[in-house]
Amino acid sequence: MIYLNSFLICGAICALGQIILENTKLTPAHLNTLFVLLGVILSFFGVYEIILKWGGAGASIPITNFGHLLFKGAYASLKKDGFIGLLGGLFSKGSLGVTVSIISSFLVSLFAKPRH
Amino acid sequence: MKLEEYKKIVKSISKKEDKLKNVLISFLIGGLLGLLMELLAVFLNKKLNIPLDTAYMWVTVFLVVSSSILTGLGFFDKVVSFAKCGLIVPTTGFAHAMTSAAIDHESEGLIKGVGSNMFKLAGSIIIYGVVGAFFFALLKGVM
Repeated sequence: MIYLNSFLICGAICALGQIILENTKLTPAHLNTLFVLLGVILSFFGVYEIILKWGGAGASIPITNFGHLLFKGAYASLKKDGFIGLLGGLFSKGSLGVTVSIISSFLVSLFAKPRH
Repeated sequence: MKLEEYKKIVKSISKKEDKLKNVLISFLIGGLLGLLMELLAVFLNKKLNIPLDTAYMWVTVFLVVSSSILTGLGFFDKVVSFAKCGLIVPTTGFAHAMTSAAIDHESEGLIKGVGSNMFKLAGSIIIYGVVGAFFFALLKGVM
């Protein structure tokens, strides 16, 4: 059943993005920024944790999950160590995607032929 | 009915169908990606005994690395122009934005080219994610 949930939630988020792109003048960069903020807000209200439990990978792949992880890391470290914890721990959960993207982009750009 | 009016109506209807088609493609491809990645996560969990949380992290790593490599091979742009949001909204879009910016400016050197431009497209995602997470976490902490 988790497979169907995963299909539905990931498909729904992508379809929502496409609906926004089709009906506004926003670019994909705007859209992804908007979705990260959406993830932060959903996480703020505790909704995203429920979506993750229900949708599995379907909810953990979209960019909204990056916002969720940033908020989760920030709030958990704020609770633990106060304001300095918030500053020090904001990336504690969300750093995975960024780190892997930087490393793999760097390596690929070393080997790939420049495009014109 | 005049020919021009007829053309106008045809155009407006076909535009609507295009929109619907794009949304449907995004839904199917995004959904399929979610389904496949869930299969991968369950496979890692059951067969290799990796805890489910870690399995989801490996799934993200797999997606980022594979879309980065596909972008490097020049293959990903064509797929994205077909799949639209089905591949833009998942992490694949983030990795694609970073890798393609890095490759586009590769000829300007490692520092001013790759280094300065890698976050050209993806930077706003991180910046507004951090700004949002900072203020909302602060707000929830005060509440």
